[in-house]
Formats: sequence, C-alpha cells, structure tokens
Amino acid sequence: MAGTMSSMAITGRAKSSRPWPTPWAWLLLPGSVFLVVLFVVPLTGLLLLAFGMPNWTLANFSRIGDSPVYLTVMRNTLEISVTVTALAFVLSYPIAYALTTGGMVLRTFLLIGVVLPYFTSTLARTFAWIVLLGRNGVVNQFLLEVGWVSQPIPLLYNRFGVILGMTHIVMPMMILPMYTVMSSIDPKLMRAAKANGASPLAAFLTIFLPLSLPGLIAGILLVFIYCLGFYITPALMGGLSDVMITMAISSQILEQLNWNFGAALSVVLLLTVLSLLWIGSRFFPIEQLLGFSDGKLGSSVTRRQMGAKMLMRVGSAANALDRWLPSMRGRGVPILASCLAVLLLLPVLIVAYLSFSASSYFVFPLPGYSLRNYEAFLFDTLWVRATFTSIRIALMAVAMATALGAMLAFGLSRGAMPGRGAMIALLLSPIIMPTVIVAVATYFLLARWGLQGTEFGLALGHAVHAIPYVVVIVVANLRDLNPSYERAARSLGAGPWATMRTIVAPLVLPALIVASFFAFLASFDDVVYVLFLGIGKITTLPMRMWEGIRQDISPTIAAVATLQMLLATIVIVVGTLLRRQKKS
Amino acid sequence: MLMKATVNGTDVTTAGIALHNLQKRYGSAMAVDDVSLSVSPGEFISLLGPSGSGKTTTLMMIAGFEMPDSGRVLLGDKDITRLPPHRRELGVIFQNYALFPHMTVAENVAYPLRMRRMAKAEIESRVHRILDQVHLGALASRYAHQMSGGQQQRVAIARALVFDPPVLLLDEPLGALDKKLREHLRNEIKTLHKEVGKTMIYVTHDQDEALAMSDRVAVMHEGRIRQVAAPKDIYRRPADLFVAGFVGEVNLIPVKLKSGIVHGPAGESLPAPKWQDADRDATLCVRPEHLRLEASAGSSGGIQGRISGMTFVGDATVLEFRSETGLQLLSKVLNVSDQSMEVGDSCVASWVANDATILTD
Repeated sequence: MAGTMSSMAITGRAKSSRPWPTPWAWLLLPGSVFLVVLFVVPLTGLLLLAFGMPNWTLANFSRIGDSPVYLTVMRNTLEISVTVTALAFVLSYPIAYALTTGGMVLRTFLLIGVVLPYFTSTLARTFAWIVLLGRNGVVNQFLLEVGWVSQPIPLLYNRFGVILGMTHIVMPMMILPMYTVMSSIDPKLMRAAKANGASPLAAFLTIFLPLSLPGLIAGILLVFIYCLGFYITPALMGGLSDVMITMAISSQILEQLNWNFGAALSVVLLLTVLSLLWIGSRFFPIEQLLGFSDGKLGSSVTRRQMGAKMLMRVGSAANALDRWLPSMRGRGVPILASCLAVLLLLPVLIVAYLSFSASSYFVFPLPGYSLRNYEAFLFDTLWVRATFTSIRIALMAVAMATALGAMLAFGLSRGAMPGRGAMIALLLSPIIMPTVIVAVATYFLLARWGLQGTEFGLALGHAVHAIPYVVVIVVANLRDLNPSYERAARSLGAGPWATMRTIVAPLVLPALIVASFFAFLASFDDVVYVLFLGIGKITTLPMRMWEGIRQDISPTIAAVATLQMLLATIVIVVGTLLRRQKKS
Repeated sequence: MLMKATVNGTDVTTAGIALHNLQKRYGSAMAVDDVSLSVSPGEFISLLGPSGSGKTTTLMMIAGFEMPDSGRVLLGDKDITRLPPHRRELGVIFQNYALFPHMTVAENVAYPLRMRRMAKAEIESRVHRILDQVHLGALASRYAHQMSGGQQQRVAIARALVFDPPVLLLDEPLGALDKKLREHLRNEIKTLHKEVGKTMIYVTHDQDEALAMSDRVAVMHEGRIRQVAAPKDIYRRPADLFVAGFVGEVNLIPVKLKSGIVHGPAGESLPAPKWQDADRDATLCVRPEHLRLEASAGSSGGIQGRISGMTFVGDATVLEFRSETGLQLLSKVLNVSDQSMEVGDSCVASWVANDATILTD
C-alpha cells in the first residue's frame, strides 16, 4: 500500500515537471537520428514503393487480392501461425508456471532449458530438426529400429515439419513474457486464497490465472507476430505447398526483381503486425514484455476486467470437486514441465552429439567419435573466410550499437522530455518488426547509396537490429544505479566528467559488456539481413550454413551449429557472472 | 472500529489451539525446535521474537502452509496436522494483507464464501453486513490499491472473519506501516478481539505490540519458545537473559550468590529477591526505571560510582552511571520535577529488592 501511494506521488510529480528536455535528453539525439535514417526512412520508402512511387497506383495491392496464389499464401501464413502459436502456448504454460513456482533446482534446470535454445541461432536449431526429421534422420532410424514403421515416413518438407520446427523455436519467446508477469504475482495471494478455503486448483483458477493473463496475451501476441514474419524455418523445412508471405516477399525481391510488388506484400505484413501491436497495447504495455521497464507498472487497470468473473465461477465449481480429484501432491506440473524442457533442449543436444561422429552420415548412435567435422570446418578456407567475415561485420555492428544504444539508454533513464513514450516505441520496434520487412526496406535504401553488398552496409543493418537489446540491458542496469552516488561524488568535489569516469563508468561497465556480447550474437547469427543486403557478394558464417543446408546436409554444419551453441552458452555465462558480481 | 459481539446473531465460534512438540528443519537448520503451546479458546496470544526465531514458521504450520517434520497441531480436540490449508477453516491475516488485486473489496470479502459455494443471496447479505461492521460499506466497489493502509487492514479482517472461523492467525499485519498508524491499528485489533471473542495468534517482532495487545506472550528464539507468560510477567520476571534483553531495556549486573547474599562486582552486597539455591555466579537484571541514583547508600546496599552522562528524551531523562569497577548502568527518571543531579556527581545505584531478577543461565 505504502508503495502504491508513493509511486502515485512520484508519477504525479514527474508529470507536472516534464515539459522541457533536460541536458541528459541530448544523448538521445545520435541514436534517434541513426534509427530514423536506417529504420523509419526505409520503412516509409517501402510504403511509397508499394504504391508505385512516382507513378502512384494501387495495382500492386489489387494484384494480391485477385491472385489465388497469393490468397493461398495468406491462408498458409495464417493457418501455420495460428497453429504454431496455439501449440506453443499449450506447451509453454506448464514450463512458465513451474519456472515461477518451482524449487531452486527445478527452476535452474528449466531456465537453462529455455534460455540456451533462445540464444542458440535459429539456423542451428532449424538444422537440428532437419537432421532429426529427414528421410534418413534420427527419428526415422528410431521408428524403423523399433519396427513401428516399415519404411521411412515423410516428416520434413511438409506442414508437419514446419509446425514442429517453428513451435520449438518460438517456445522460449512465449515462455519469457509469461514468466515475467507470473513472477510478479505475490505468492502470498495463493496462500491467502487457500486460507480462505480455495483448493489448490480453485486458487489457481481464481487468483493465479487471471493475474497472469496479461503475460499470456503478450506471449501469444509476440509469438503470433513472430510467426507471421518468420522466414528461416519455414523456408528450410516447408514443402512446396507451405509457402508463407515472407517467402513470397523474398522471391519477389531476390528472384523476380519485382520490387513494387514485393514492397506491397511487405506493407500488408507490416500493417497486420502494427494493428496486432495496437490491439495488444490495449491490454498491456508491450515495452515491458520486451524487458523494458520504467518501474512504473500500470497494469492494474487492465488486469481486472479480463475474464476474472467467469474464472471465479469455474474456480468455485472446481472447489466442490476437490475431494474427488486425484492428488499428485503438487508434483504433476514440475514433472510435465521438466519433460517439456528436455524436449526443448534435445534437438540441439543431439546435433552436438552427432557433430562428433566419425561417419560422414548422421547415424544414431555414433559408430565412433572423432573431430573430423571440426577439422573439416577449420581447414576449409571457405568456412574460415566466412567466419572472419562474420566477425568483422559483427564487430562493426557491436561498436555502433553499443555506443548509440548506451547513449539512448542514458538519455531515456535520466533525461526528461516530451514524447518519451513514442521514443521508447521507436527504439524497441526493430525487435518486433519482422526482420524480412526491415531487411527489404534497408536494401532499397542502401541500394540508393551504393552500399548494397558491402560489409559496412550489412553492419549498419545489424546495428539497427542490435540497438534495442543494448538499450534494454543498459536501462535495466541504470535503474539500479542510484543517482545519489553521483550526487555524493559531486558533493565530495568531483566535477561532472570525474563523476562519470570514477562512479558511473565503473558501475555501468558490466552491463555494457553484456550488452555488447548480445549485440555480437545478434549480428553473428543473422542470416536474413545477409540474404537481402549482401546481394550474393557477402558470405558470412550463417550464410554458408544456409547454403549448406539447402544443398547438401553436410555434417560439417553440425560442428558449426555446435560451436554456435557454445558461443551462446559463453554469452549467457558471462552475462550471469557479470550480473552476479554486481550484486555482491 | 466497532464490531458486534455476536456474529450472525448467534454465539461466537471459537476454539483453542494446541501445539505438541512441533519440529521443522530446513536443511541442517532447525527452524522450529520442539515447540509446544496451548492456547485457550478466546485467548489473544503473541509469538514474539527476532527474525529467524521460528515464529512465522510456527504460524505457517498452524495455517497448514508448512508441514511439521514431527509433532501435532490440534484445533479444539481435532488433529489438523496433515489437513491441507483450505480445509482448516482458520482465518489468516497476512503481512501486507494479500488482498487480491484483481478483485474489488466486496469480491475479496465474498471470496471465502464463494469457495464454500454458499447461495448468492446469503453471500451478498453476509458481505454487506461485515463491510458495514468494519465501516467499509461505502467502499465495496473499490480496489485494494485505491485504499489507505488502515482501510486495507479492515478489508483483510473482514475477509478473514466473514466465514466465521474459530481462530484468527495474524502474521505481522502491522509490519509495513508507519509508527502512528501502527499504534492506531493496534488498538483496532485489540478492540476487535474483545468484540468477536475469537482465539487470536499474533506473530510480531515488535515487543510493544506484543505487550500491549496480548493476554499472553510467547517469546521465541532460535526455534524454541523461551518463555510463555502474561505481558507483565514477561517484563518483570524474564525467564532468561535472552527474554530480559529482547523485551525492554535492561541493566545486566554480574554477581556472585554466596550464602544467601548477592555480591556485586566490587564485592558489595546488593538488593535482590530471596535466593534459596547453592552458591554460584549469576546475573542480576534491573530495569532502568527501577534503578535509582542517590547521594548515599540506603540500608539494602548498592553500587558506588558517578554519573557519566545524561540524555533528555522528553517524558524522561536517561542517566548514565559508571561504577568504580567500570560497570555501565542506565537509570531512567520521569521528568516530573527538576532533578538535581549533574554529570560528574558521585552517587550510589540501588533498587528495590523485588524489582530485580536473578538469572543463572
């Protein structure tokens, strides 16, 4: 209660004294200019292009509506996205719930099961599924072995394969926002419900579920949006009849060279995403689910209306059944969640295991261990050159994203100015917008400057993509940085610059390092930007994997995928260690 | 706050609670160690102790949120040790109240009745009645975050009482509030207890609260109950050094008991209650308000020394006394008249024999 009152008082004061920018707000300038030029301008250009600029026309849009091919594409996109979102929701809820309510050991295990796949590149995880589901893949080998089938069944390059692969890849994205909201629910409320006579099931239905609804809606929304704009997995795992809108866009831009029509398709996807976001923002401040929090939780207003009355009736009924329900003594959910987390981890772990094969085929179990796949990677000039290209581009992107992102974070945390909310929306949108659209739009812009197919141009694209991650991480850190440290330093005789150097920099440095690691990962794992901005001239590591997966599924890729997973693990461990060090 | 002495126009439901040898271990740490306690119907008892003393764990075992490793919890004569919390029918008031944020005041109060599947009309009339009793009738459609701390407490009380439980468990309900409000709400709870006549078990780390509200206080330390007694006896006759030091301020004087006489640090004889036991070392406890500083020694003896400091605290003055052997003692004198002592004056510290307590642990 005291907290509520004081936070109300603070908001009130902040509102009354916020009309003019403070000096800190100037730090927002470079980053915003960068994002406007490389994000807002290209997307606007895309819009204009779709309407045929300079010869204005609606022909491109009417073509989408008239052609049965594109109506099928739309239907595919919706069907697949809805199915994947629904499946991911059902499978994610138990994990998020156990992650919130479980004991220390269970939570650590589940967190690894969610976070490790989340930060392992989509390409590596998609490759894992291709290895598992192929005609001679691990699953078919197993089915033949136990005699459940007499010949390999088609699991890949069809609807089943796409849905399975996509669901697996989006699940961490569903779990994390759910977990954020669930862990903000005071566990005492569940106790209070039980003290008031609610059985565990009734307490869940009447208290926990309604309070976790904003997280569920946000998770569903983010995953659905991601599915609509998903490119890599459907392109690699789908069959000929599973063409989604992103694949249609890519084919128009890269193969048909019909830019106007490709732009029109992109605009359709863009507007769909924006309207979904708008609907979602009615329920919950979207920026909080991307990890951006000002410490001002304004969710209490939206919380109350949502379905709570109906759940109350169901919960009350469930309470009457309590004595007849079989009791698992609270172990049911943890067991289920652990099984699901194992399934989340399994594909990448199997690929890591297979990467040590002595055979040039994927045989399970391994006929013998060897490092031949790793040797093939290290001694192949093409692979090595691709790796160095990736590192060069990633370092350029990291430098830009960390510098601009850190300034933006400082400006947002410390600066007061009008239009701050719009600023946050602009900063975070590169994560939410489908990568394909942003890449296509950036391609048109770079082409005008003659930067298409250059490593610097690609790094610019990656920097736009990485800035939101940097901002989120540094803002979270600055929230803990008490301004009274700086005031203390100033009162002890330190000037502004000395305060920055002796107080702020050392305290923010760990967050900057973590942020730059994640920015590196974002660039290093990307394949979509390379496809569009590289115009076949740049071969990064993921690009070479992509080509490798499309041509022959060589075991060398398993070694590369394993190394990528290792890199993700290092980033997570470094991040965790630096965060822990700060706390101690 | 006013509440009727009868609930539902019938006799008050109440029952005693008995704890038999409760034990609870977390890893290697003993959170609750062999706790036995018998609470009579209608009694107000406080579990008082510092954090980590096991008081909250004990309460949670009564409520059913923690399972004891061994021992039994009885409600009246019914063993409820293994009963899940939602079937215990005990009212619990949580720290920070745990009001459901997505429900209005009326919905919060109706919750226990809905879980018991009462008829709609019955729920409405009960909620209406109890909200009127706690003077919240006008705020029934508000949400918890729109209310003050005092109002929230009343909602919590109404929610815990509306289903007429025999026992009310209170887990530091005043913990998060400021001092003025605490004192006000303390009185509300005390009045409430008189009116509803329910057994109340109140967990707190605040000795003032425990002493002011309770019929009896159980002082806990390191998982054990050190003393159970009426507030006055806890204060005046602490059972051991921990209780003496935890409840109120106290002067501890190392003494030797020898052939019926209590000898101070310099060998002087000191006023003390009658002592029957064998000769040994002990500690004499004297509360500062019982310690008098006078120019010359009375007949029952005292400690020689001088005044080393003086602090004005409003209603009283605290005098610091330093004996010739270096012992530091405090004396608290009410400021009813100007007292004439100055820092540096030599004097004798003494007290009435029956105001001192001999502790031998």
